[in-house]
This record gives sequence, C-alpha cells and structure tokens, in this order.
Amino acid sequence: MESIEKEYERLRKKSNLSKSISDVDKCIQLLQNARQAIANDPSSARVSIAKLQQTVPAALEKIKDDEKEIYSGLSRYGRALDKTFKATTTYSTNDYDALSSQSDLIKRAIAMHLIREGQFAAASTFREEAGPIDIPPHLTTEFVEMYEILNAMRIHRNLGPAIAWARSKSTELDHRGSNLEFDLCRLQFVWLFLEQDGQMRAFHYARKELKQFQEKHLDEIEKLLGAFAFQTRLKSSPYAPLFADPEKCFNDVANAFTKEFCSLLGLSAESPLYIAATAGAIALPTLMKMAAIMKDKKTGWSTVNELPAEIALPPGYQFHSIFVCPVSKDQTTESNPPMMLPCGHVIAQESLQRLAKGSAVTIKCPYCPKESSLAQAIRVVI
Amino acid sequence: MSMSTTKLNAENHLLLDQPLLRLPHELLRKNFKTAQRYFEREQKELKDGIHNVAKDALAGASPEDSLASLDSMINRMQGFKRKLEGLHDEEKTLHEHSRKRIAHLQDLYSIPSLVDESYDKWSRTRLDRLLVDFLLRSGYGNSARQLAEEKGIQDLVDVDVFIQCSRIEASLRNRNVSECLAWCGENKSSLKKINSTLEFELRMQQFIELVRDHRHREATAYSKKFLAPQGDKHLDDIMKAAALLAFMPTTKCQPYKDMYSSKRWEFLATTFVNTHHTLYGLPSRPLLHIALSAGLSALKTPSCHSSIATSSNASTTTSLCPICSTELNDLARNVPYAHHVRSSVDPDPVVLPNNRIHGREKLEEFAVKLGLPAGRIRDPTTGDEWDNTTLRKVFIM
Repeated sequence: MESIEKEYERLRKKSNLSKSISDVDKCIQLLQNARQAIANDPSSARVSIAKLQQTVPAALEKIKDDEKEIYSGLSRYGRALDKTFKATTTYSTNDYDALSSQSDLIKRAIAMHLIREGQFAAASTFREEAGPIDIPPHLTTEFVEMYEILNAMRIHRNLGPAIAWARSKSTELDHRGSNLEFDLCRLQFVWLFLEQDGQMRAFHYARKELKQFQEKHLDEIEKLLGAFAFQTRLKSSPYAPLFADPEKCFNDVANAFTKEFCSLLGLSAESPLYIAATAGAIALPTLMKMAAIMKDKKTGWSTVNELPAEIALPPGYQFHSIFVCPVSKDQTTESNPPMMLPCGHVIAQESLQRLAKGSAVTIKCPYCPKESSLAQAIRVVI
Repeated sequence: MSMSTTKLNAENHLLLDQPLLRLPHELLRKNFKTAQRYFEREQKELKDGIHNVAKDALAGASPEDSLASLDSMINRMQGFKRKLEGLHDEEKTLHEHSRKRIAHLQDLYSIPSLVDESYDKWSRTRLDRLLVDFLLRSGYGNSARQLAEEKGIQDLVDVDVFIQCSRIEASLRNRNVSECLAWCGENKSSLKKINSTLEFELRMQQFIELVRDHRHREATAYSKKFLAPQGDKHLDDIMKAAALLAFMPTTKCQPYKDMYSSKRWEFLATTFVNTHHTLYGLPSRPLLHIALSAGLSALKTPSCHSSIATSSNASTTTSLCPICSTELNDLARNVPYAHHVRSSVDPDPVVLPNNRIHGREKLEEFAVKLGLPAGRIRDPTTGDEWDNTTLRKVFIM
C-alpha cells in the first residue's frame, strides 16, 4: 500500500494535464504575439513567421515532454498496483460458483438485508427494478416498527414503545428465557432515578411497574430500591455500579431488543448477508491458496461436499456445535450421525460399524476398556 | 475448540478490492490517451500550418493572408486547449476517486484485529460496495445509485461506468451496433492489445443484416471495407461471410443458419460485457458472488440443512446461524460445508433423556433465565423438561 500511496501522490502532483494546458497556452501566446506584431507592422510578417518556425516546434516539444511525464506516472502507478495485487488475479476466473444460477435467491437475500438494515427506500426501489421477489409478507412493516422502537430508545431515550412491545410478546419471550421486559423496566427505573429530581417518579414507577417481576427478580429489585437510602451520595454507595453507565445500558438493551425482535421473526440478530460476506472475505486468502495448490498438483478434493482445508474465522462465527469423529476424523452428518456408546464416548456411525466388523457380539470402545454391543449404541444429536 | 483467529492480515484481506483502484487507473489511462490523440492531431495541423504560412509568405502572400492563417491556427489551438481542460477536469475527478479509495483501503491497515469495532464498520462499508457492484451488474442502476447515496459511498463505486456499459449492452439486445462501434473506436488501442474480436464481430453482424435485407451490393462493399482488412486474422469467418450471400435467411444449413440467428445478438451483448470488464480490470462475476460463495462455505455445517432441528434459535443462549436463516438457507444448499478437524461443543457436555447433547453450564444458565425451580432443566430446542439428575456425562474427544 505504501508504494501505491507514493506513486499516487506523484501522479496527482506531477503527472497531470495542468502542465500541458499551460504549455499549450504558451504556444497560443507565441501565435498571438506574432499576430500582434504583423498587425502592428505588416512589413515584419516574414520575420515574425520565420521566428514562429523556430519557436513553435520547440513549444510543441515541451507539450510532448509533459505527456511523457503523465505516461510514466501512470505506468509507475500501474506497476505499484500490480505489485500489491499480484496474487489476486486468479480467483475471478475459477468456476467454483454455485451462485450464478441462483439470482432469485440472491435478490431475496439482498432485499431482506436492505429491509432489516432499515434501508427502506433503497429496498423499495430495488423491488421495483428487480421485479417480484419472494420475501416474507409484512417483513417491511415489522422492521419499520422495530426501527421506530429503536429510534425512540436511542434518540429520544424513550423506553415506552419497547416496553409495550415486550409486554405484548411476553409469552414468546418467556419461552425463550428472555428477561427483556424486566431489563427494559429496570433501565426505565434507573433513567428516572438519575433525572433531576426524578427520584420520586422512580419510586412511583417501581411501586407500579416493578412489582410484577417480584417472583423472578426480587433480588435485583431490592438492590434497585436500596439506592433510595443513598440518594444523596449515590456515587460512593454500594449501589453505584447499577447507575454508573446508563449510556452503555441503553446500548446493551437496544442490542438485546434487536436480537429478540429478530428471533421472534425467525431471523438472526445480525444480517446473515453481512456475516457471510465478512466470513467470505476472511476465508478468501485461504481458499485461493488452496485453489492454487490444487491447480499446481492437478488434484481435486475428494469430497465435493466439504471444503478441502480448515478456515479460521473469528470467535463468534461459530453457530453450531461441531462433532468430528475422533476415529475417522470425519464430521458427522445426517447419513453418518454421531453414536454414543454406553460408556459415554461418542463416535461416528460408520466408525462404529467398522469396529463391529469381525466380532458381531461385542465392541470395545476405542477410548476406554468398556465393551458393549452394537445395539447399545445410541444415536445422539449434538 | 475449532480453529479461530482474530488476526487481520490487511495485505491478504484486500483480495476483493483490487477493482476499486484498477478501474480509475484504467479510466485515467483512457483519458490520457484521448489527450494524446488530440495532441498528435493538433501538433501536425499546427506544424503544417506554420510551414504553409511561411511558404506562402515567401511566395508573396499578403500580410492579411498571413494574419488570417494565424487566426485560424489560434482558434484551433484554443479549441484544443478547451478540450484539454475538459479532460483535466475528468482527471481531477478520477484522482479524487483514487485518493478516497486508497484512504479507504489504508484504513484497513490501521485496524488492530478482526474483532475490533472498526473492522465491523469497515466490513459494512465493503458489503455496501459489493451490493452496489451487484446491483449495477444486474442492471438495477436506480437502486445502486440510491444505496450509494444513502450510504455516502459514491466515490467508492463506479455507477457511471456500469450504466454506460448496461446502455450499450441494451442497445445490442435491441439490435443496434452503432453505440458499441463508437465505444470500440474510443478504445481502439486497448482492444488491440487484448486481441479483442469484438469490433470484427460487430462488423460481421452489420454485414449479415445487409444480406438479410437483400442488399447484396452494399453488403459486398461493406465487407470489402470492414471485413477484408482483417483477412489475416479472420480469413475463415470472411469466407463464411462471402458464402452467406448464397443462402436465404430461412436456410437450415449450418453454419449459415446460426449466422442469421437472432441469438447472435445475445452473443454480441455478452461478448461486449466481457470485453468491457476485461478492459477495465473488472472481474467477470459480481464480487458479491465471490465473497458469498466463500463465506457460505466457511460458515456452513452439516447441521444447517439437517432435518433434525438443532439448538439454533430456540433460546436466548444461542443466536441464529446465518446459514440457517431464511435469507441464505436455500442459497447455501449447494455449496460445500466447512472443513473441521476438531470437535467444538459447549464445555462439560451432557446428554439429555431425549439423546440431545448440551453444555451443562448452558442448561443451568437457561434454567435460571426461565425461572425454573431448582434442580430442573429444560431442553432449549424441544422445550422438554427434566430433573437435572437425569443428565449423563458424555465424552467428546
């Protein structure tokens, strides 16, 4: 990148047309001077023109030099690009592309991405231009609502709409083990409490709204109310951490709200398109290296279903448990599921069957001395 | 744990971003070549002009005549200067694009790791760029422009280039070669360098259309003028073209049937787009395809299309896998899944009476969130409840 920057600076400062233009101007000046001289004194015409025969070619030569400078600047910048991107020309030409034939699905993914990111105007232009796209009905309405609630929370510090939403979905949220409603109400209490002369209102709020959470959150409610005893010197009280950083609380609660809202729609909290494109950019160097190696050795990879090498992604990019059979080193699949032996060790079904070959009666666990029969192995879901 | 990384290697990471700098560079070169062409022409004109005026003056032309000649030369040069100024403005715009793009790529070098918040932001801008690229390539210019504006990335995308490309592509689909021929004229030397046959194919089409209209005399003249000079490279095609005169547009005889076929226009449109992209250093496929097919595979697991539900979105303890999400699930169906060499499960795995395996800590955490009575646990996937005494330890090696 440094050489690109350096060559770019050179290009911008030196290799541009401004010098050519001023040299063309000088050339025009020569012609105009000659014209002026002839107009003033017609008898000098021959002399003036003879002079032009000397000066104009020299001026043109200068313009040519200016062009050479631009040309060399462009070439040098081009070479700097070549150097930085040298390894990268191959990927676009390879034919490993399962997506070209799926443009409808890609369009759907994009439309849903734009909607969930709140780009409603772009999304609707896109749907006008791209024709019918099969996206879940009401998706736009849902996300419009979500952004209204989020904006109320983030911009106006108004938790009301979020609390109302959580309350209307309390059964589903409870089922997921989500405490969103309580978290929202608790933040409302904290926010009131921190307002100028807000303690009285916070007190009333607690009596009215926090009571319903007693059963599950009594401890936390007691802590919140304990703050009243220290309201004049809250910062040095044991309750300080609860009230320390309401900005962060708003942010956390907004994220939790987004996650729950999307989950109830059956969607992930982050845009899948964003996660996948980011993972793809992280994976590409490895994939390309692999492609180059395989091209070199003229080999393909044995299983078309599986990438030929492991790709390292940041933590947080793993969404499922992974089970790799310790015997065969294969990942288990629906057709080759994980099986648990009575001793609690898990191996893949195919490995188990291979172990059972020969002795139909007992299998010895590969990892402990325990023996069992094939029928005792249980299919598990990891 | 499976292999994971937070390390950001900026140099490697810019694989997708090459066209970002290549395109303005190509446009700058094209801009410069236009300037050069003007200059060649004007320099010759001026030299000849001076030469003639000197000759005439020696031969006794009046000073008035000399003045008139000089005036016309001054006019020409001023016209030349105006053209250069126009090109210089274009150059400045392109330099500005390059500057912003270099700065954008440079930003990546100052990001400490893949888990840093600034990387998230950078990667979102990248996705927006890839989306605009995809929209442009698909011919959805308005959406592309709108998204670029809403995201403030107009300098990082090349809306105008693609819109011009789509326009010419559409003109070919409407059976009109003139715009595309003009484009070939503008890019003559670059096309020659990559041995492009685009212009020849366009000329051939013109010829075919003349024959189709029974304008054989014109067709012959046209082929003499535009096809024959390419004889050393395209002799076979030219012979076929000559033979075409003997066949009716309704012929079933090959290759003449194909030459008359309307599919040839489709072929011209695709050839043009490919040539255009090659010339400007643009990949033939949308960058989004490249990023997504890599990303889908890197994330995909055998569970993502399994008929047995796994614990992906039923509780707050886990977040929904992007591959399992509605947006991408069908799309990822045909890509290979990621390779893993080691298992990766929640710590302290236990098996429930329904043969599902979860981490003990996760189950307990979930039970607290649900407010279950002490000693009870609930399967986050199926919702079944048991006593925690029914849990059995499993060994995942």
